[in-house]
Amino acid sequence: MSLPAPEPQKSAQPVPSRKWPEFLRHIPLVLYSLIIITPLSLVFFATFKDLSQLYTNPLGLPRSWDLANYTRLFQNENMVVYFKNSMIVTFTSVFFILFFGSMISYAIIRMPKWTGAILFSFITLGMMIPTQVNMIPTYVFFAKLDLLNKHLGLIIVTVATLLPICVFILTGFMKTLPKGLIEAAMIDGASHWKIYTRLVLPLSGPALATAAIFCFVIAWNDLLYPLLFIKSAELKTLPLALLQFQGEYLTDYPMIFSGVVVASIPMVIIYTFLQKYFIAGMTAGSMKG
Amino acid sequence: MSVKLRKDLVVLTILMLVAGLVLGGCGQKKPEAPKEPEKTVIRFAHWRGEDKAAFDAIIKKFEAENPTIKVEQSIEGSEKHDTKILAEFQAKNGPDVFAVMPGARFANVVKGGWFLDISGEKFLEVVKPHLRLPGQDGGKQYAVPYQLVLNDPVYNKAIFEKYKLEPPKDWKGFLALCETLKKNGVTPIIFDSEIGPGQFMNPMLMNNMPSDDALVKVQKGELKLTEDWFVTTLKQFKELNDKGYFQKDVLGTKKAGAAALFAQEKGAMLAQGSYMMASNKQANPNLKQGLLAPITVSADKMKYEGIHTATFMIAVNKDSKNVEAAKKFMAFLFKPEIAAEYANATGQMLTISGVQYKTEELMEQAKWLEKKTLFQPRYMITVSEVEKAIVNSIMDVIGGMAPEKAALKAQQEVDRVIKK
Amino acid sequence: MRKYWPLSFFILPGLLMYVIFFVFPAISALGLSLTDWNGITPERNFVGLANYKEMLTNDPIFAQTFGNNIKYMLFVVFFQTLFSLIFAMMLVKNSRMNVFYRALFFLPTIIASISVAFIWIFVYDPSIGSLNTFLTKLKLDFLIQSWLGDKNIAIYSIAVVQCWAHIGQVMVIFIAGLQSIPKSLYEVARIEGATPWQTFRHVTWPLLAPSATIVVAYTTLQSFKAFDLILAMTDGGPSYATEILSLFLYHQAFNNYKFGYASATAVIFMLIVASITLLQFRILRANKVSY
Repeated sequence: MSLPAPEPQKSAQPVPSRKWPEFLRHIPLVLYSLIIITPLSLVFFATFKDLSQLYTNPLGLPRSWDLANYTRLFQNENMVVYFKNSMIVTFTSVFFILFFGSMISYAIIRMPKWTGAILFSFITLGMMIPTQVNMIPTYVFFAKLDLLNKHLGLIIVTVATLLPICVFILTGFMKTLPKGLIEAAMIDGASHWKIYTRLVLPLSGPALATAAIFCFVIAWNDLLYPLLFIKSAELKTLPLALLQFQGEYLTDYPMIFSGVVVASIPMVIIYTFLQKYFIAGMTAGSMKG
Repeated sequence: MSVKLRKDLVVLTILMLVAGLVLGGCGQKKPEAPKEPEKTVIRFAHWRGEDKAAFDAIIKKFEAENPTIKVEQSIEGSEKHDTKILAEFQAKNGPDVFAVMPGARFANVVKGGWFLDISGEKFLEVVKPHLRLPGQDGGKQYAVPYQLVLNDPVYNKAIFEKYKLEPPKDWKGFLALCETLKKNGVTPIIFDSEIGPGQFMNPMLMNNMPSDDALVKVQKGELKLTEDWFVTTLKQFKELNDKGYFQKDVLGTKKAGAAALFAQEKGAMLAQGSYMMASNKQANPNLKQGLLAPITVSADKMKYEGIHTATFMIAVNKDSKNVEAAKKFMAFLFKPEIAAEYANATGQMLTISGVQYKTEELMEQAKWLEKKTLFQPRYMITVSEVEKAIVNSIMDVIGGMAPEKAALKAQQEVDRVIKK
Repeated sequence: MRKYWPLSFFILPGLLMYVIFFVFPAISALGLSLTDWNGITPERNFVGLANYKEMLTNDPIFAQTFGNNIKYMLFVVFFQTLFSLIFAMMLVKNSRMNVFYRALFFLPTIIASISVAFIWIFVYDPSIGSLNTFLTKLKLDFLIQSWLGDKNIAIYSIAVVQCWAHIGQVMVIFIAGLQSIPKSLYEVARIEGATPWQTFRHVTWPLLAPSATIVVAYTTLQSFKAFDLILAMTDGGPSYATEILSLFLYHQAFNNYKFGYASATAVIFMLIVASITLLQFRILRANKVSY
């Protein structure tokens, strides 16, 4: 099977910029950036304040750019361990979600129409079950299987609950792949596995990146299942570890926020990294046009 | 797809697998390595994140005295704590020692049969009998309150001194006090909609209720919220609101915002409770605080000077595999010298007799031990919908609904819930 | 038919995990909707459809909650989709500046919801809040509202926060969708002298239909499942004005100890979300033009 030579291509420009000078485009973008940054800076500034500063001056600049909260965070807490735990659970889960999810999505678009639709509905229905009602039966079930207080149990439940979202996003995109291309490969005698790995996956770059971003963020910030499943301190994930700063009447917000800032760094890196894959899917379009 | 990008994809995949499997491998094994085989590990679950350091220090001492026992704290906010222990008890996997709130929460753990009966344990004797009551059911002691909270508004002493004000003795005096403050440009009462109504309703009701267990009777259908005593209370809330004695927009104010306002000394009273004194002090070290309760009747009709709650009840899990170790830890917490250490570190007053209080705020609270206080009426309700209906009627009145109408709405909700 | 059999190997690993670890507990949870289980004691009595009957005919709070859910959904779906589409179209090019903007807009999604709630409580706070202070400074006092305290406004105030937190997230789907539109179609449109609106209406929008379907359906679902944010900001108050179904069933299960009832709510919840999603698929598919 010969793959079409991928041509480096410029991205599409749905908004013709002929009439609009470039800088005008930045006006709404900068405005919205301010709406994003201003509230977030409250969190960032708070990490340089102590509690009394936060309460007496919640919105203002910190008195000094003191890193005390960050050093306290890393000195007192096993932040490195929590970080590692979050990494293990998130990366492994997302890998399997994408792997299983993309295979199912491929199968759905390749199946006879109705079989595919039924499978799709059955899986996406999973997104519609509210977690709050599901959690006690899930907990009891995982307890019976002795999967509690283990990263394995956490990974399994994350994969099972996020699979529907992944299938939902991927199937939607894979449906738009040019049919002719896949059929041509089929006639050439390529197996499903070959079509999936050599043709469909490479063409689904942006879709995979999108699904990956969604799953990463959800898995990384998930609090419910770690809260239910993990007991030992050395197995805790980051969001779970940050909970202990949340008091009944006095929450140590500066510490929580420092933790939140630290916890968001890997997601920013992953997001930026996955951005690269956005342009990659362009070939899909070029086939068609 | 360019060759470079495909390479990146391969790198990413390998990275994920390495992170997952290699780190996963050592992540799974590691916890077993440092554990010494003979050590009994017990888990202490509670919701007071602010007390972590204090408990850590106490646990260290306990472990030094009992080298074979290791205590792990698991701390989640109270809402998450309740949800989590419920799931854990369902799977017979609960914490060995745990904290529970009085009222509806306690009643439900009793229903589940998850408490170990600790009636007659020697370490309980340091807690006065009437303070043990919230942890009893059917004549058995299942849990023992650790903290003693006064659910009365906290006031700023400096502001009171500045305008030569004293805690008033009756409703007229209370209104006059608020008026003076307001005239001088100080918000008399900071009242938030998150925990405020559930707290402030208690002192507002204590002298208006026909009997101490009036709310229990409401829940049984023997008394109605549409009766005079409750409507009067709502009218008094309305009076405070209409006269502008609360800060603007009570319903939009959350507990964090209220705490910030009080810390910034923008208001004279904070309608929450004694537990806020320590955190207020942390938020503003210059504060001088006292406690006062509004007396909603004339001085001669006053039955109670304020409200108390014995809370943060500690209990042992019946299905714990280490009942003895768990009891030992619990007994340790109730030793007066250990309790004193906890109290002074966290700023919380305790139910335990013979504790020496050292901080200014605690000494202020300790004065109230001599006063005539009523156990928090809200915690006598065991049906949470009834509690919510009452709290909502207060919010409805603040939001502009007529007191009679709000009372009727609350009673209808109570009727709907208790009919079964 | 034989050519389809190998596909089962593609389906099985994921499907098995999903069925065993998700569907199985979920079914047992939903089955509880026919019982009066309190979540505590072992006994549970079969009560038939009593929970459903109570909910649909005799629970004013459920009715109010459902109304709130619809308001919340309409607001979030409309604004979140609109703004994410606009920004996606502006940022589709992979220039350095655009990648920066995208990452910036995505930031709120990464931040844990406890911080998002905390920030916005202070933004909305009536006394020391930044929003009202800001409006006063701009001499726009008449716009000052009780953002979280007014029964008619609170749900929209939270909806704004929901959009703020997730516009950058769903924008990613639109960007992926826009990038798969062949550039040549735009060239054709340009040669034929189409106006920007015509280009959008006849080229971009029809080809964007699949991603629009995903965005709208996902946003709908997200608005129904919104939980942490509302729990932290208002816990459903004042007087149930911001209680939505997910919060309602949580309160039923864990505050009121009515698990059977909560499960019945969950079933209704699923039916509602599923039918709305199906309806959206229909509408958006009707819009799709094949080339």
